[in-house]
Amino acid sequence: MAHEDRAFSDQLAARGVTRRDFLKFCGSVAAMLGLSEAMVPTIASAVEQAAASKLTPAVWLDGGLCTGCTESTAQATNPDVGQIVLDILSMNYMETIMYATGDSAEAALKETVEKFKGKFIMVYEGAVMTGWDGNALRVAGKPSLEQIMEVAPNAAAIIAVGSCAVDGGWVKAAPNPAGAIGISEYLKSQDVATPVINLPTCPVNPEWIVAMVVDVLFLGKLESGAILDELDEFGRPKIIFGQTIHDNCPRRGHFENGEFVYKFGSVEEAKGYCLYPLGCKGPQTQTNCPIVRWNNQTSWCVESGSPCIGCGRFNWVDAGAPFLDRFRQIGIGGGNQGSGYDPSNAALLAGGVVAGALVVHGLGMKAAGRIGQGPATEEMKDHDRKRMKKGGDK
Amino acid sequence: MGTPNVTIDPLTRIEGHMRVECEVTDGKITDAWVSGTLFRGMEMVLKGRAPSDAFYVAQRICGVCPISHGHAATMSAEAAMEITIPNGARIVRNIIEAAQYLHSHILWFYTLAALDYIDPGKALEANIADTYALAEAAGTTPSNFKAVQDKLKGLVAGGQLSIFSNGWFNHPAYSQKMPPELALIGVAHYLEALEMQAEASRVIAIMGGKFPHFMTSLPGGTAWVPTQEKIDDILFRLMRVRDFVWNTMIPDTLAIAPFYTEALAYGGGHGNFLSWGVFNRESLEMKDRYLPEGAIFAGSLTAETSNPEAVKEYVKHSWFTSPTGLNPAEGKTVPEFTKYDVNAQYTWAKAPRYNGKPMEAGPLSRMLVAYLRGVEPVKAIVDKALGALGAAGKPEVLVSLLGRVAARNLETAVVADWSLEWVNELVAAVKGGDVKFFTESTPDAGAGAGLWEAPRGALGHWMTIDGGKISNYQICTPSTWNMGGRDDDGVLGVMEQALIGAPCVDPERPMEAARIARSFDP
Repeated sequence: MAHEDRAFSDQLAARGVTRRDFLKFCGSVAAMLGLSEAMVPTIASAVEQAAASKLTPAVWLDGGLCTGCTESTAQATNPDVGQIVLDILSMNYMETIMYATGDSAEAALKETVEKFKGKFIMVYEGAVMTGWDGNALRVAGKPSLEQIMEVAPNAAAIIAVGSCAVDGGWVKAAPNPAGAIGISEYLKSQDVATPVINLPTCPVNPEWIVAMVVDVLFLGKLESGAILDELDEFGRPKIIFGQTIHDNCPRRGHFENGEFVYKFGSVEEAKGYCLYPLGCKGPQTQTNCPIVRWNNQTSWCVESGSPCIGCGRFNWVDAGAPFLDRFRQIGIGGGNQGSGYDPSNAALLAGGVVAGALVVHGLGMKAAGRIGQGPATEEMKDHDRKRMKKGGDK
Repeated sequence: MGTPNVTIDPLTRIEGHMRVECEVTDGKITDAWVSGTLFRGMEMVLKGRAPSDAFYVAQRICGVCPISHGHAATMSAEAAMEITIPNGARIVRNIIEAAQYLHSHILWFYTLAALDYIDPGKALEANIADTYALAEAAGTTPSNFKAVQDKLKGLVAGGQLSIFSNGWFNHPAYSQKMPPELALIGVAHYLEALEMQAEASRVIAIMGGKFPHFMTSLPGGTAWVPTQEKIDDILFRLMRVRDFVWNTMIPDTLAIAPFYTEALAYGGGHGNFLSWGVFNRESLEMKDRYLPEGAIFAGSLTAETSNPEAVKEYVKHSWFTSPTGLNPAEGKTVPEFTKYDVNAQYTWAKAPRYNGKPMEAGPLSRMLVAYLRGVEPVKAIVDKALGALGAAGKPEVLVSLLGRVAARNLETAVVADWSLEWVNELVAAVKGGDVKFFTESTPDAGAGAGLWEAPRGALGHWMTIDGGKISNYQICTPSTWNMGGRDDDGVLGVMEQALIGAPCVDPERPMEAARIARSFDP
């Protein structure tokens, strides 16, 4: 092992992270990127080399946000946020944790943009706030749109973290009072061509950020342009957002068996039955949450007894609310985006993709009458009558 | 009215976006303006939706305290629907809320605030052997101090300082007497705290699916059903966090505080305090909460019973055209940006007042109310801290910058102990056959308020339901209480007033102002 590599290992050891933990982390990155086990040593050595050589400069801009994606990133472990910002990247601007403040912080941003033009990574959190000519969000005494335009055109790539950054998230939900949109849409309107990697969900899962940083930087896919082939038509990494939650849900077997939870806190919940009657949006939501899970793989929404609310869908609040109402029509080719408000075109397109996925895995169920009107084994329950009575069930 | 000549924008190491302007005269702050610079419109987004949706959406107003917002939203729906949650759900919610307090306070002290008191550059000068000796003398935990120092040296040698870029190294407002070894201890624990705040969050993940933004405390109770295995997991993690709080965070606080005793003399502000109370007992009454409700007015050492109807929100100096002086139960939100002008409108925050008075919200309010009500173990730990500061029997000294910092860290210790108590309470309840966690209800109309406490202070959600849908929704957050601006009479907001009279030794780098602003954990 080279001296520099040792230094990295020592740093990890000082934090109580063994080499075994580190390789496990590399393994999970490989799995997330759809790479084989054989790639683990390559990833490990790429990360070690990167840690030993010059850190890659990065800046993290805060838009119309709740800081939840920064918080989520702070919950990452192996590497934790300290390692991400000190050992892997040089995070020269990140409002929520940076030492500098005010003019000193803005100077650090300006210096990074000038010194590393075309070479730094920009992370964007929160919605782009266009309301009142951008005055819905003012940073450093001016509309934040100006800050975006000073930085984004000069970045090598942009990682949009969380649903707000991807398409405006909840901030864009009707009536969208502050003119929220996603960063891709905004940059397109300004003819900025910097590639954007979209990582939806509310908040973002930090494991995806780490996987993308490894993929883009250490495996050289940004330089080679290969990263673009790995993104879907919405700029999302296919490997992360190519399957529905329903596809990988540990409770899926209960769905097939017609074993459902009709009431929160019930015996059926204790048995881990399927949450579909309580409004689960797993069939419509494309993320790998059941595999990657959350907070250092501690748990995830469905495991805690809650239906998925589809926070990774486009225009997720308008598309999914009322969240506890079941979509009885998991139809093929549409009708699964909910109602109440008009979903955006992107949402309709995504609906097509979901429908496609359902075709792949769900035709058998359709034939068995299990989708469309709900599983054949599932009788109308009081719960359903109540909801239908108040006009909630779709 | 003064003229601003010192500006901090953006104020970093906070949640969200904020601007602070001061007028500095002869090295002292003589006037101040605090601006919330982001408007998203949560209250408008929730209108017309299902009451249960408020739980899922409203918590996303804040990624640092989503649990409290989720609970306040759910409680407002429960109040409107007249639901009484089962006792099991109450205990589960207390534990989730406590885990968030531990997470939030640890993150605030080490990640957000510590760099205002410890110059990380000084850690490079520390002698490693002396650092171990100092850690032992201070009763705080040792770390691999050499590895931490090497890491800092590596950053400097590499020429890229990452999150330390352009920091205010060697600022004259740092204690010149603090030994470099204490700075190294601080930086080492800064890194360790990252793991401990994440550990506290994992308790939320077990019970709520994930953090930030959890899934289970919906109107009626909780969707989470405890199992033996999960309770064990929670207990183990909370014990680990508690050890860190008592053996690292509290000793670190006591080691650093003596270098900043001058901060007992400024940063206090109006001296009015409000707490809605947090952590329910079986009665679910606000007065019975572990940290009870109460209002304290300047000059008085008594806590009065609080009254939500005394709250009114003023907008003369904010970018809203909705009527001024409304109680949130009838509140309106109509945004309209004009321009940034400290003499006219200058903030997206409304200015809430209680009986016309600006009220400080936060751990200091909660600890003072609990202290004055004689709540144990708050009284014991505050008395101990007052003794250490040489101010035995004088809780009024806590109305200061240092007092506000100390109150938050003392509260962390109290909540850490209670969190274990509540896990045991849950075990006893389940063993005793108390296994009900959810009550159903389908209301068509009603109105109610969820009054609660986020880690950073008094929080209220007001919901009106009509025809099964939310017809009005208003939120009054702790940051609105603390960083809201002037009211219609020109009376300064809480943070604005706290800035007045503070020193400003370097107007180019207004460290003291940043410290005071961050002490509210906005």
